[in-house]
Amino acid sequence: MLIEHPDEATGLAIASGLRLAGYAVAVCPGPRGHGQCPLTGPAGCAPAHDADLVVCSLGYEHEVAREVLRELRTRYPDTPLMVEVPSDMDADLRELLDGCHRLPAPATPEQVVAAVQSLSGHAAVEGHAGA
Amino acid sequence: MRSPFHSEQEAFRFLLLLILGLLPVVLAAALGPTWLALAVLAVVLVILAARVAQLRMRKLRGLALPVKMAPPHMGSAAERRVLVVANDTLGEEALLREVERLACVPDTHLLLLVPALISPGARLTGAIDGLLDQARVRLKTALDRVGHGLVVAGEISEADPLQAIEDTFAIFAPDEVIVSTRSERAASGLEPRLAGLVRERFAVPVRHLVFEPGSAAREPNRDTEARYRHEFGDAAARKFGLKALAGAGILAAVLMSMVALVQSSEREEARAASQAAAEQIAALPPVAKMVVLKVIPEGKRGPEGEKHDEFTTTEFVVRAGQPQELRIDNTDEVPHSITAPEAGVNIVVMPGTHTYTLLVKQPGRFLWFCTFRCDEWAMQHPGYMSGYITVS
Repeated sequence: MLIEHPDEATGLAIASGLRLAGYAVAVCPGPRGHGQCPLTGPAGCAPAHDADLVVCSLGYEHEVAREVLRELRTRYPDTPLMVEVPSDMDADLRELLDGCHRLPAPATPEQVVAAVQSLSGHAAVEGHAGA
Repeated sequence: MRSPFHSEQEAFRFLLLLILGLLPVVLAAALGPTWLALAVLAVVLVILAARVAQLRMRKLRGLALPVKMAPPHMGSAAERRVLVVANDTLGEEALLREVERLACVPDTHLLLLVPALISPGARLTGAIDGLLDQARVRLKTALDRVGHGLVVAGEISEADPLQAIEDTFAIFAPDEVIVSTRSERAASGLEPRLAGLVRERFAVPVRHLVFEPGSAAREPNRDTEARYRHEFGDAAARKFGLKALAGAGILAAVLMSMVALVQSSEREEARAASQAAAEQIAALPPVAKMVVLKVIPEGKRGPEGEKHDEFTTTEFVVRAGQPQELRIDNTDEVPHSITAPEAGVNIVVMPGTHTYTLLVKQPGRFLWFCTFRCDEWAMQHPGYMSGYITVS
């Protein structure tokens, strides 16, 4: 599970909740971290590639948020994406969010964990039904 | 160091880099002299060493990793796992009290991890038993003091502290890490910046307990942690930089010696070859600058007592590819010749005194004769109107 959140403390709180729920986690500050974000570089983001789900907050500046979303959608189209979206979202961002699981911002870590659990439970039921 | 065969992708990349690195060396060895191959090898090694040093420096300076990782929580939701990392501070009363306090909290499991801090030198020489024993004694003393055998376990690690913590994450999956150090690093102590490095790498809460001799534990603030990271990271990087510089110097000296040795051996071989050639040339019969001779009709008596036509010199010694001048005074009224078909020679000797050039390109001994009809017997007998050209 990759948690991409600009606020480190919130990211860690979400990670703690997800760990308790039984998930291995990776927490990344995204382009706000030190150094260049590999997601926007040529190498790509290995944790995003390996993740079963990316939980992404759009608490970045507009341009950065759009770039992160675009890269995640275009480079890893098969990785499910759960996005915490602000209510005053622009139309261009809305287009990129087609097919993503959305969570209204601001979401507490507990809400994020519950949403992930609900999503994975839903997926498990779907998978079971499919089988 | 991470294995280059950790994954298929990394193994493939390693193989590709190996081929790319060796290709110029092999090409230089195949197409050029030995010293060139060595020089190319030196360049490849220097590039490799520079890259390794760059990565090592980056690690030592502790450049922030963007991603923190953590495995899933183990056990029931109520359980809490705490990893305590310490070495020389393991006997500190304050630390032991904290471990005891945590051990008394229900559903809490503790693991005391003691990295033995084995230096590369000790690892290389195998002198690690003393350090391991020291760590073992510290751990045993602490475990005896703390008690709570069911919830407090201990482990010694020979690995680098950060690596040891990473390995422990895989088997113990801690929910919290406590790193215990002194504010100044002792010979057998953990670096104060370790807590910062653990915090950068793992997505769990990390507490740093710093002990000054004889005083209670304190938890450094963010600025102090940043200072630890800066000071100790830079110090380690400086130390490594000096070692790398010394290593590069030694490597350069060894390679230069090898190049010099090869060059000197090649020079020696060339000198020996040129000396042998000179000796061979010296052993050859001398070549006159200009050969002066005459053609005299009936000038020399044959074995049967009759007089025959003659060239006064019939043996010519020349060097292959070097022109030899012949000054011939043909006292006859008709032309004669020095003709050696196998040597590609046909000199027509006109009456009177003229200078001719004798040039043969390939070494050997070639028969020559006069092709102008004159004294038939003399034309068939070397020493008269026939002879040999010796080319060396």
